[in-house]
Amino acid sequence: MRILIAGLLLALVMACSSPNKSEDQAFADALANTELEGQVISGEVNDILHRIPSPLEISVLLKETGRKYDAAFLNSPDNLSRYNTNYKRALNLGIYGTDLGYTNIYEQSQDGIKYMATIKDLANDLNIGQFFEMETIARLVSNSNNLDSLLLITTQNFNTINHYLQTQNRSHLSVLFLTGGWLEALHITLEVAKANPGNMQLQETIGGQKIILENILHLLSFYKDSDANMAMLLGELERLQQSFDNVTITTIYQPSSFEVIDGVMVVKDNSSSTVVITESDIENIRTMTRNIRAKIIS
Amino acid sequence: MKKLFVFVFSVFVLSGFSSSAQCNAETLSTQCIPKLASGFNFLKTYKVEKAGKEYVEYSYVFTKGTQYMINICAPDQNADGIIVTLEDSDRKKVASSKVDDQYISAIAYPCNKTGIYYIRYTFDDEASYCGGSALGFKR
Repeated sequence: MRILIAGLLLALVMACSSPNKSEDQAFADALANTELEGQVISGEVNDILHRIPSPLEISVLLKETGRKYDAAFLNSPDNLSRYNTNYKRALNLGIYGTDLGYTNIYEQSQDGIKYMATIKDLANDLNIGQFFEMETIARLVSNSNNLDSLLLITTQNFNTINHYLQTQNRSHLSVLFLTGGWLEALHITLEVAKANPGNMQLQETIGGQKIILENILHLLSFYKDSDANMAMLLGELERLQQSFDNVTITTIYQPSSFEVIDGVMVVKDNSSSTVVITESDIENIRTMTRNIRAKIIS
Repeated sequence: MKKLFVFVFSVFVLSGFSSSAQCNAETLSTQCIPKLASGFNFLKTYKVEKAGKEYVEYSYVFTKGTQYMINICAPDQNADGIIVTLEDSDRKKVASSKVDDQYISAIAYPCNKTGIYYIRYTFDDEASYCGGSALGFKR
C-alpha cells in the first residue's frame, strides 16, 4: 500500500513538473477546465456564438459597393507556416475563412482554391480536417455557375465545425475562429471604406460592428482567467472598443406591418436605426484593427 | 425470468428507436435550406424540438439594409402548430408566423434597424412538435 501511495505521489510530482508539456496542451487543458467549471458558461457561449453574423454578409455588401476584388486586403496563404500554436491556428482559420468567402463572392476561383487548401491544412492541425471534402469544393470552385452551391457548402462546413467543437468541449477554438473571422471582415471593410470615402452604407456597417464587438468581448471574458493568450486578445479588443466609444447607434421602434405573398409573410419594418460615426472615428478604428490583425497574422 | 428479460430488453430497445425516430430536427433543418426563396444566401440552420420545453430560442445580429428569411420545416411538410416569432433587442415583437389562425411557413424581413434579434419558436398545444428551420439573407 505504501509503495502504491509513493508511486502515485511520484507520478503526480512528475506530471506537475513535466517540462515537455506543450503550449498547445496547456492551452487546451486550461480552457477545458474553464468549460468544465460550468455548463452554464458553455450554454451562454453557444448562445452568443450563434448570434454573431456571418462575414459573408459583409463580403456581399462590399461587392455591392462596386469596389473591385483586391487580394492585397487578405492574409496571404503563404503565411500558413507561421501558425504553430492552436491559438494562432484557430484565429487564422477564421481569418482565412473570411478571405475564402470574399474570394468566392468575387468568383476568384484560383485564389479560392489556394485559400481552401490553406484552410484544410489549418483544420487538419486542429483535428477538424475531416469536415472539408476538398474534391467537391475544388470542383465547385472551378465553375462560377456553382457559386450558390459553393457558398452553401462552405457555410455548412463552418457551421458544422462550430457545432462539433462545442460538442467536444472545445468552444474556445470556436470563439477564436469567430473572432478572427469577424476581425478580418472588419479589416476588409475598413480598407474598402478608405477607397470609398463618403459611402454611408460602409460607414454604417463599420459603426454597427460596435454591437458585435460587445458580444465578442463578452465571449472572450469567459476565458480571460484561464488562458494568457485569450486574456491578451481580450485586452487588445477592449482597446479597439474604446475607438468605438464616440459611435452612437440610436433606434426607433415602430410596430411593423406585413402582407402574405405566395405563402411568405413579407414584413415591412417601420423601425429604424441611425449610426453616427465620423471619419476620425473610422480612422482610429482602422489603425487599431490593423495593429491587432498584424499581430495575429504575423 | 427469461421472458421478463426479453420484455424489458425489447421495451428498452424499441423506446430508444422510437425516440430517435420521433424527431430528427437536424435533418429537417437541413431540408429547410433549399426551401429558402431564390436569391437568399444560407446562413444558419436551427433545430426546433419541443422536448418538454415551452419554446426554443436563438438570436442573431441583423444588419440594416439586409433582407433575412426564416422558414420552418416539419416531417409531414406541414409546419402547423409551430410558430416563429421575431423580436428585437428590446423584446418588442417584429413579426409572428401565426396570423388569423393560419400558420405561415416563412417570414421575409427587410431589416431597417441593426441589432440583436431573437428568433423564438413556440408550439400551439401539448403535441410533441419537431421541426427544423433555416435562416438566409440577401442584399
